[in-house]
Amino acid sequence: MSAEASVVVTGLGTVSAAGVARPALEAALRHGEPRSTPIDRSTGHHAPQAACTAALVGDLDLRPFIPPLEARRMSPASRYAVVAARTALDDAGLDVRDESDAGIVVVVASAFGPAAFSQRLLDQILDEGPTVASPSLFTECVANAPAARVALACRATGPNLTIVQGEAGPLRAVAHGAAEVAAGGCWLALVGATEELTPLLHAILDRFRALARPRGEAAERARPFDRRRDGVLAAEGATLLALEAEAAARRRGAGILARVRGGWSAFDASAPASGWGRGEERLAGELVKGLERHGLAPADVDRIVSGASGSRAGDRLEALVLRRAWGARRLPPILAPKATTGEYGGAFLGAAVLALAGTGWGPTAGFEETDPELEVRPHDGSPLEPARRVLVSGLAAGGAASWLILERP
Amino acid sequence: MVSGVGVVSAWGWGVAPFRSAVAQGGSAIGPFTRFEHANYPTHVAAQVPNRAIRPRRSRCARGLTHADRFAVAAADEALAAAGLPAVDTDRRTGVFFGGSTGGMFECEEFYRRWRRRCLDRAPRHLLAAQPVSRPAEAVARSLRVSGPVETVSSACASAALAIGVALEALRAGEVQLALAGGSDSLCRITFGGFNTLRAIDERPCRPFRADRAGMSLGEGSAVLVLESLESARGRGARPLVELCGAGASADAHHMTAPDPGGNGASLAIRRALRDAAREPGDVDLINAHGTGTPLNDIAEYRALERVFGDRAREIPLAVTKGSVGHLLGGAGAIEAAATVHALLEQRLQPVPGQGPVEPRAPVQLPREAVPAELEVALSLNLGFGGCNAALVFARWSEP
Repeated sequence: MSAEASVVVTGLGTVSAAGVARPALEAALRHGEPRSTPIDRSTGHHAPQAACTAALVGDLDLRPFIPPLEARRMSPASRYAVVAARTALDDAGLDVRDESDAGIVVVVASAFGPAAFSQRLLDQILDEGPTVASPSLFTECVANAPAARVALACRATGPNLTIVQGEAGPLRAVAHGAAEVAAGGCWLALVGATEELTPLLHAILDRFRALARPRGEAAERARPFDRRRDGVLAAEGATLLALEAEAAARRRGAGILARVRGGWSAFDASAPASGWGRGEERLAGELVKGLERHGLAPADVDRIVSGASGSRAGDRLEALVLRRAWGARRLPPILAPKATTGEYGGAFLGAAVLALAGTGWGPTAGFEETDPELEVRPHDGSPLEPARRVLVSGLAAGGAASWLILERP
Repeated sequence: MVSGVGVVSAWGWGVAPFRSAVAQGGSAIGPFTRFEHANYPTHVAAQVPNRAIRPRRSRCARGLTHADRFAVAAADEALAAAGLPAVDTDRRTGVFFGGSTGGMFECEEFYRRWRRRCLDRAPRHLLAAQPVSRPAEAVARSLRVSGPVETVSSACASAALAIGVALEALRAGEVQLALAGGSDSLCRITFGGFNTLRAIDERPCRPFRADRAGMSLGEGSAVLVLESLESARGRGARPLVELCGAGASADAHHMTAPDPGGNGASLAIRRALRDAAREPGDVDLINAHGTGTPLNDIAEYRALERVFGDRAREIPLAVTKGSVGHLLGGAGAIEAAATVHALLEQRLQPVPGQGPVEPRAPVQLPREAVPAELEVALSLNLGFGGCNAALVFARWSEP
């Protein structure tokens, strides 16, 4: 990549159970333990044995970032996305709110879209009839409402894309935004993910046995790569990155968090519609071929930020793909931030950037016992050499797979 | 290059009935039965006739939603039309889809049963239908695709944006073959939602007519097989038309109302033309978004005027929504398919409906399928939230 084509991360904006803005996420990752709270089960959606907690934004005060009048008609997913966009711009030292700018591209991923408003609208249609349903609910039901809200908030008239590809979506958002900036079509890309979690969505995920459940007296917890893992910690929030051309960022003296070397994706056709497949061999081949297309080999990667989340089948596939890709070589240190951040909401993406920015990492929460089938031990909290090049891996239920290479600038 | 097209529409399963109906200016919008709609204010849509399909892999047939089935059938037809009986494992293939509702209809069925507390009788496969990414994944699973599979969900611009993403993936060498398109099905939430916005006409939609009163929803899928010229030639295939460029933009104006000045949409058109290395003067046909809502059609005309000047009154339009309704996330795909066919046939597509044209949007609406020399055509899609996408296609003739 030439200096002009090189794309860097200059800002990280986030809102999650850990709090708002980069320092909150850094602190959470250093600490390691997730900030989970009880989910509202009074709605009656949950089975008695269902998961009880989630990593929720809850009643965090977002007013400093989004005035109540502006937030009034927004779904939670839209609010989170706008807060993440504004904190990303602040982090990057950019102010783009005055005039519309066709040089700003927005790419936002979401697995489920605005769930709360969709549910409320459907309830109104089914209970009271379509003639009395609220139009403002419908406006926010579309999956691209958060990306559109970000465009409105930042006056961004460049391309505006919403990617729906489950757990693999956030990495694709980064790849698309980076490609736009590298091609010179835009000077700034705001890329990442947003998600909101409702009690109904939580109950549905539990019904699919996707969530970690309590075991006797022990509280439920996600256990990435652990032998006893039984599901993920569901989360909500948003994380957006500010991407710029490296030369332009350096010219304005911006702090650079990471360089985006490239991203690519593949598909595991053996996956069922709502689970993970057993296509580790083919996916490992795609991973290695993708590295080669970017002039790299597995040996050039000195850190892996894994999307392992505690999912039984998902972590298995993730571990076997990595092991096959590395072959006889020893795997580099593996970070599994979803143990802390939970699944969905993009904090995982922020964690991947912070893996290069020198953030200290606590031990992988929930990991105690190596799974003999996987033979992968995530980071144990011991001091790590600063990473030079990170492979970020995201395998989605349903078959999509996505990878990203971030480098130290 | 576009080397194959597949379509499922209210005209039936396959390109042939769609192509024939569009060429004759027919409209498939009328009464529909997908769900009970007696208590809705309007009662017309363009529903795909029921038909069982058999995916290539039998285990992929379980739990397919309507949108999945449309997508799988359209992809199969597009591949066959391209002379590819199967996805060639030596050729890295990707699936790039747009969608906005996906399996929402099936998800609504689950939710209705869930609300009645019949949890045990609420099948999981209905719920698993929810992700909008499902149709693209169903196609990839059925064809054993191992390359990128991506779904764009940017409202009515989704499929056009997805086709643009596929074009970029081909240019960047990420894939050698792309199945690009979109699929959506009718569901209560969009039918109810657009009714709450009073955006649905009681009669079949009449885009750009003075008496238009809103859109008509539709369902279906369209898939284009995209590959480089070298790839098509290498396997002895004849390209149908060239996909020369794609452009996108955002209005950043309002969540539902279009920018009345057409600024955002004109930016997308300019970007697509620049990407295609074409000038506004090169464009011979525009497949307009043409929803038929009072505000949108005028704003769209303003955008055309910004780019094409006085020629905005003269360039003939195609308005596919008048024939098959608004496919929402799939609209960009079926309108791209109609554009491909117009270039292939070198014939204008009569726009369904009669009556005077809206005086504030004095566009050229063909009344008959007259022959025309069409070298370059633009397909435009403008979505909720101000998402805009434009595609530029060109006639292909062997040098």
